[in-house]
Amino acid sequence: MRQINAYRFMAWELHIFLDTHPNNCEAAKKLEDTRKKIDELTKNYEDAYGPMGETSNQTSRWAWITGPWPWEIEEEADN
Amino acid sequence: MWVYEKRLQYPVKIKTPNPALAKIIITQYGGPDGELGASLRYLSQRYSMPYPELKAILTDIGTEELGHLEMVGTIVYQLTRNLTPEQIKEAGFDSYFVDHTTGIYPVDASGVPYSASTFASKGDPITDLHEDLAAEQKARTTYDNILRFCDDPDVIDPIRFLRQREVVHYQRFGEGLRITTDHLDSRNFYAFNPAFDKK
Repeated sequence: MRQINAYRFMAWELHIFLDTHPNNCEAAKKLEDTRKKIDELTKNYEDAYGPMGETSNQTSRWAWITGPWPWEIEEEADN
Repeated sequence: MWVYEKRLQYPVKIKTPNPALAKIIITQYGGPDGELGASLRYLSQRYSMPYPELKAILTDIGTEELGHLEMVGTIVYQLTRNLTPEQIKEAGFDSYFVDHTTGIYPVDASGVPYSASTFASKGDPITDLHEDLAAEQKARTTYDNILRFCDDPDVIDPIRFLRQREVVHYQRFGEGLRITTDHLDSRNFYAFNPAFDKK
């Protein structure tokens, strides 16, 4: 998750930079490479821990409703 | 349309509760320069923006602010876990607790509920972008003020992240203002409102 967060943050920074610099090919290429890495990391994470969202390829219902939710501290999740 | 993701933009893991700190940090949830107002400001202003870069940047930053709202809610939630009545009273958290227990509700640091009168959507791109630039700086100042009261690294770390995002958004809005004025008459940017007047 730590790695997904880091790559997703990089992709987001490039995404909003490209909003105001749509002609920047270097940033667009970097974004494309970052997205590939994210897809790979996300697949591994979801196979192990369940879906990250409604559009996820991993569709386990129990894994979705099971904690920890993002605001929860792991050991206190679900009682 | 929005799609929820089961993760925070930046991790929040606070081991030690601190209701006194929660009481001031909640202003970034429901206060005048908080993340709720930020999100509503940008997502409301985008409809009248005439240029593609501006529609995109307001949509994206307005979306990121919703993620920040979730982070601030998480910080307040984790700072108010497992409290005793004595801790609540001692921290001055009793005035919040009596109305909301430890539920999360959008108020400012003095308990005033969120009000849409804290932001503007004026339907004029230059005016709205100046509002957005000011809003990012006001939120940055608020995070700097919050940091004056923090000594727990578990809290300082995500607050610093949120503070830094205000600086990045300020930069993007500055570029948005430049894009706007590049479309206008350089002798008089205010000759007409590009969101309303037909050129």
